[in-house]
Amino acid sequence: MTDRIRIQQQDFDLAEEYQLLRQSDSAVGAVVTFSGLVRDFELGSDEDRKADPEGLSSTKNSIDLLSLQHYPGMTESLLETIVEQANQRWNLIATTVIHRVGDLAPMEQIVLVGVASQHRADAFEAAQFLMDYLKTQATFWKSVRRNGEQQWIESKDSDQQAAARWDSSADE
Amino acid sequence: MINLLFFGRLGDFAKQVPSTMAASTPAEIRELLAADFPDLGRELNQPQVLVSVNKMIVGWDQPLFDGSEVAFLPPVTGG
Repeated sequence: MTDRIRIQQQDFDLAEEYQLLRQSDSAVGAVVTFSGLVRDFELGSDEDRKADPEGLSSTKNSIDLLSLQHYPGMTESLLETIVEQANQRWNLIATTVIHRVGDLAPMEQIVLVGVASQHRADAFEAAQFLMDYLKTQATFWKSVRRNGEQQWIESKDSDQQAAARWDSSADE
Repeated sequence: MINLLFFGRLGDFAKQVPSTMAASTPAEIRELLAADFPDLGRELNQPQVLVSVNKMIVGWDQPLFDGSEVAFLPPVTGG
């Protein structure tokens, strides 16, 4: 298993990361990658989201900047643990997790999760698991700047629910 | 002395808080801070707030030693 975990300010190249996964072993038969981007709007609280679930009033909410804070040292080891858990649950050949920190503009890349395996089911499921766990367990905090004001993003119930489904399937 | 860190929105409430203090558990730190900084105290008492000691999530009554790094962690929002 080749695991690549990076926390960095600079951007990443999806094509390059895909090639590394593809070429990690001749047994690789499937590569799944997910990349998360900065939207030009971000709804702050669950209440805001209920009032405007699709972000239709995005002109009102549109952001100037997204800032990502993390806890150096702890975030890396939490990501390692999450990748380890994925390796235990699925048959994976190579895994890449890259998460950016610092100030990011709308449309920039935030996160990449890539998984290479022999068969597609392992790669699809592990990629979803990694994102769900990363979102609910890794020590990153987002804030947005909008009209010069900084606002911390609140955690979403839907992310907690997405991560919880993996707990129940552990008993199967 | 114990080193204190506040992440995410907790940092906004902790701007006047000293970076070190003497205490024997995270719960005691929370109590001492709540006495001097009631707004921060309210935030730290939210059930979703977690505490770590030397970068490991622990219970609030974890014993602390000189030089321990205690961090207060609001719900995470990465990805």
